[in-house]
Amino acid sequence: MSHAQQDTHMLSLDRVTVNLGQRTFGPFSFVIQPGERIAVLGPSGAGKSTLLKLLARELSPLSGQAIFCQQPLKDWALPDLSRRRAILPQSHEVAFGLPVDLVIGLGRVARMHDPSLASIVQQAAEQACAAHLLGRRFDTLSGGEKARVQMARVFAQLWDVEQGLLLVDEPLAALDPGLQFSLMEAIYTFAANRGHAILAILHDINQALQGFERLIFIKHGAMVGDYLTPHVTLPLLEALYNVSLAAAVTEEGEMIVAPSLKRKVGG
Amino acid sequence: MSATAGAISLTSRFTTGLLNRPVWFLSLVLLLCFWVAAWAGAVPVTTDDWLVLWRHDEPLTSGAYVLWNLRLPRILFAALVGAVLGLSGALTQGLFRNPLADPGLLGVTSGAACAAALTIVVLAGSGIDIPVAWRFWILPLAAFAGAVGVCLLLDTVARWLTADSIAGLLLTGIALNALAAAIIGLCTYLATDEQLRSLTFWTLGSLAGGSWPLVGTLLVLLLAAIWYVRRLVSAMNALALGEAAAAHVGINVRHLRRRVIILVALLCGFSVAWCGVIGFIGLVAPHIVRLVIGPDQRRLVPLAMLVGAIILLVADTTARIVAIPAEIPVGIFTALLGAPFFLALLTSVRKGG
Repeated sequence: MSHAQQDTHMLSLDRVTVNLGQRTFGPFSFVIQPGERIAVLGPSGAGKSTLLKLLARELSPLSGQAIFCQQPLKDWALPDLSRRRAILPQSHEVAFGLPVDLVIGLGRVARMHDPSLASIVQQAAEQACAAHLLGRRFDTLSGGEKARVQMARVFAQLWDVEQGLLLVDEPLAALDPGLQFSLMEAIYTFAANRGHAILAILHDINQALQGFERLIFIKHGAMVGDYLTPHVTLPLLEALYNVSLAAAVTEEGEMIVAPSLKRKVGG
Repeated sequence: MSATAGAISLTSRFTTGLLNRPVWFLSLVLLLCFWVAAWAGAVPVTTDDWLVLWRHDEPLTSGAYVLWNLRLPRILFAALVGAVLGLSGALTQGLFRNPLADPGLLGVTSGAACAAALTIVVLAGSGIDIPVAWRFWILPLAAFAGAVGVCLLLDTVARWLTADSIAGLLLTGIALNALAAAIIGLCTYLATDEQLRSLTFWTLGSLAGGSWPLVGTLLVLLLAAIWYVRRLVSAMNALALGEAAAAHVGINVRHLRRRVIILVALLCGFSVAWCGVIGFIGLVAPHIVRLVIGPDQRRLVPLAMLVGAIILLVADTTARIVAIPAEIPVGIFTALLGAPFFLALLTSVRKGG
């Protein structure tokens, strides 16, 4: 990899390992370019969330180097970092039942002077299909509505920024398929308009295959694969999840996979 | 429609900040309470007594003496202590993301009282001669140290247990309260008669010590705290998202926690040192505000101070006038007001959950 290329990296991990509890995860080595859409796949407990925590700087590396926008991740001041990357969490709870407007506005709390806050909150809510929820209390919302408000908060955080990084931790897993689809579309549009990269942890293989251009496989706490989506084959996915999969191809030529009942022998 | 209204209300909340209508309303109520409290009491006060400051040539009547040297400093002191308690309650609840957190319930005030009791008994017993000038400060400092100790312990335990374990936090508070009660009991057992009298003062709580120097000191402390808190309230709102998410939006959670803990300990330490343990206001005041106007810390904090001031002023005035010429400890009235409210609160939380 040449140095000229390295300058354009938004994020690069170089043999990063991380400790959580008694386990060591990693090494993780990959780079993220601006505007890329990457899905992280792997069985439960493989370390996907740990990788996300590492990128979110909730955990610090045990060894190796994590560089974000030409600066080591650990050297970033939190308010500056919050203007370049946002995290859509898995759980949506907010204490005290704050009003929805305030929750969305909290995405921009680190900005000292923020004259366009109200209009950004409004637009972010619209983009996340949550405009009708403004003015309500967060704790009176349903699960799907909470997810939309949290998404609007994340949108507000990176609203007026270019080439940021959006980390997504399977926030839509519990929602109905129609809502999942429209919210994923909202995330794609939001990120594409601003050149934000997306790194999303997903359980749904089909969502990953259809919406993401690159897939990172994680198993037993380590990275076991990094493929462009067209190069992903059924045996690779079967090995990752240790199951037999059946595949079908849609009229548009996209692969759809589903687990078949018999367990893969010797996997 | 509702979307536009929401956006507008957000703007107004950001721009008007402190200067909103509930603040004016509560300030008026507080002034009214001042007025009633100044006239009420064992010694009757006349209009002439109010004007005595501008008539230096006349001899001081008993009414004027009581009004200017005893009653006015006391009611101002009561209002200031109430505001301090309301503020520390609002901050504690915001910090622990828990509407049931309160410096009294969590053992912070007990820790302060415990340290004060130890200072009274052990320091006096050790025979070390303390200069008179220091005595004014040594108890507040001890109480502050006690409050900080408990706060840091709670913070550690709260995170050592699961991140959001409310039960664990409150159980820790109960354990700390019991420990503090045991140490205070031991101090009571070891104390001399004179020490015993000051110990009783600390455990029951009284505003009788209110004087102009105390009012001045507390006012400075409160103004400094308000100035300091002004910059923390938005960050404390972010804390409601959870610690991880607050860090994601750019809040340095560890620094914020430290700052709030030191501030709460300082406020509790000083109020306990000068007027003993006065319970329930720290719990009730922020809760009334939250029920009426919502949980936004930027509005909650100033309003909780005003509500705390009103409650304690009313409770203290009642304590002064209900059995003239005797005086009932104010802690009895705050508990009488607070305990039923607390039970109602628990019921509503249970229904809500």
